[in-house]
Amino acid sequence: MSRSIAYHSSPLLASPTPVWRSKFIVAAIALAFVGLAARAVYIQVIGNDFFQRQGEVRFARTLALPANRGRILDRNGVILASSIPVPSIWAIPEDVDRNPEQLQKLAKLLGMSLPELNKKLQDEDKTFVWLKRQVDESVGKQIEALKIKGVYQRKEYKRQYPEGEAVAHVVGFTNVEDKGQEGMELTFNTDLGGRNGSRRVIKDRMGRVVEAVGDEIAPVDGRDLQLSIDSKVQFFAYQTVKEAVLQHKAKAGSVVVLDVLTGEVLALANYPSYVPDKRQNLSGEQLRNRALTDSFEPGSTMKPFIIGLAMDSGRVTPQTPIQTAPGRMTIGNSTISDSHTYSTLSVTEVIQKSSNVGTVKVAMQMPARAMWEMYSSVGFGQKPQVPFPGAVSGRLRPYKAWRPIEQATMSYGYGLSVSLMQLAHAYTVFGRDGDLVPLSMLKVTEPPVGQPVFKAKVARDVRHMLHLVTLPGGTATMAQTMGYSVGGKTGTAHKQEGKGYASKKYRGVFAGLAPIDAPRIAVAVMIDEPSNGKYFGGVTAAPVFSQTVQQTLRVLGIAPDMTVVPQVVTELVEESF
Amino acid sequence: MMRMNLVLLLGVVLSALYLVNVQYESRRLFSELDRARAQAHKLEVDHERLQVEKRAQATSARIEGLAKSRLQMRPANPAITAYVAYTPDATGPAGAVAAANPVSMGRVK
Repeated sequence: MSRSIAYHSSPLLASPTPVWRSKFIVAAIALAFVGLAARAVYIQVIGNDFFQRQGEVRFARTLALPANRGRILDRNGVILASSIPVPSIWAIPEDVDRNPEQLQKLAKLLGMSLPELNKKLQDEDKTFVWLKRQVDESVGKQIEALKIKGVYQRKEYKRQYPEGEAVAHVVGFTNVEDKGQEGMELTFNTDLGGRNGSRRVIKDRMGRVVEAVGDEIAPVDGRDLQLSIDSKVQFFAYQTVKEAVLQHKAKAGSVVVLDVLTGEVLALANYPSYVPDKRQNLSGEQLRNRALTDSFEPGSTMKPFIIGLAMDSGRVTPQTPIQTAPGRMTIGNSTISDSHTYSTLSVTEVIQKSSNVGTVKVAMQMPARAMWEMYSSVGFGQKPQVPFPGAVSGRLRPYKAWRPIEQATMSYGYGLSVSLMQLAHAYTVFGRDGDLVPLSMLKVTEPPVGQPVFKAKVARDVRHMLHLVTLPGGTATMAQTMGYSVGGKTGTAHKQEGKGYASKKYRGVFAGLAPIDAPRIAVAVMIDEPSNGKYFGGVTAAPVFSQTVQQTLRVLGIAPDMTVVPQVVTELVEESF
Repeated sequence: MMRMNLVLLLGVVLSALYLVNVQYESRRLFSELDRARAQAHKLEVDHERLQVEKRAQATSARIEGLAKSRLQMRPANPAITAYVAYTPDATGPAGAVAAANPVSMGRVK
């Protein structure tokens, strides 16, 4: 049995479709298209910026282009400081795999105890914890080899100081962010620092850079800084002052070496010093750049300036006799005395024997103002022009406030204070033709112009007197050095403590020039509180001067100006021309 | 007319494909360039690091220490130094020879 339905005759189909239905469908479809078009307009025109941005966030990255901090070089281009990227270790505490054995190894590599490490990792809410910043390259590699989950590395710039403690006070150091904190690093921080750059790039799924977007802001590397320091001279200066401080059981010592011709600082060393890379247990004692930040009463080292001034104004000649007996003199109600009693001394001998009475007699012939002007013009009482953080100006009171006794004591170096750098700088006046050139911590390319202080002949006469100081009969025969003629002046000053002078505390000072006929270097040495029995400047500071001069002149390639008995056994080949 | 359109369509499709290819190629090359740059930077940094390390091995302090302890040397002084005078305007070959032979100083005892 089959039943068939006659569709064409279905009564349902037979009913005529209402026209509005088809129109409704068409309208609905049209509306859908309008909706699409509107959305397209919204996305591509109205909200375009928003969507562009959102898209970019997902594939574009801004990469920082760190600028290199400039290097610090010595006058011959030897690296004194340079920034090197080193690994820093960080972790996401939540992700760290708590395997005690592994963590123990990690702690050992980081140089900390396991509890210390655990304490750092304890806060699980944190997403970033420094474990240790700036570790050694080899340590970084070993930590990487441990493959601990959640422990990562990042490269950070670290300042390296290959010369170590010898130049620490000059160069200074930077902090963990590579910003200058001390010394030249601080003074020239802006120049050395440079400016970071950046660039926008598109990265693909694998993190590879596939396209650059827009312009790249190139990083500006910091400029290299070339100092006037000679690393070899610096090393020898540091070495000798260190040995002297240890030998005399002194509190500290400093030495400054200046180039007389250019005013450049060839060496500036202090002991105690520190290693700039390892600054964990630093004390202020070690950090102090004594040659610039400590001022002291210069004692007898001032005498040549007074004699120079007297000769410059024509009041005395080197041969003028001065009566120094009986070795003491009274001004007001104070008495000035010599440690040895001499009778009549010539002006030259006053310097050679370092007679206080003789110097005072010469000084009292001059107006206070002339003395003040001369002291000022050689740089005392003024900030030295070296751009050093914390450099002191010393003390030189205005001449109008001087009482006669003060003028007298100032002539032999009490009642005013100077830094060792100022003292060395002032002595360059005698090394030149009586003029003073500006100091420089940076390499000088053009010969500087000096400000005249004394006449050339006066400078030459004073040089001769300084030379005699180091010869038999003078106070500093220990300043002599093999092969080179030297000249200088000792100073031994009681240290001030509170308002008075400490009875057993001294400072041994020596300032001088070499080679004495045509000086190339001025050297000033200061030994603070020698406590091994000897305290005179001629015994404590003069030998440091002697060795420093010897090594410096050798390094500078200056031939000896005195004959030396050779101890060389040569097998010279006879040359025939 | 129809054929013309077909040809143009084909042209468009081909050029589009080529564009895709070129874009891909450019990105690949750029990424390579970037890697090369990173490599160059790394080498530069390594160079700097090695220079510093070299310097650290050659400081006056280290050399002096080694020379004293291992080679039993002592600092030079003028008594054990032979000086060779050099004057740039020395007459004839004499000056030149003297200046060129600083080695003829001999042995130091």
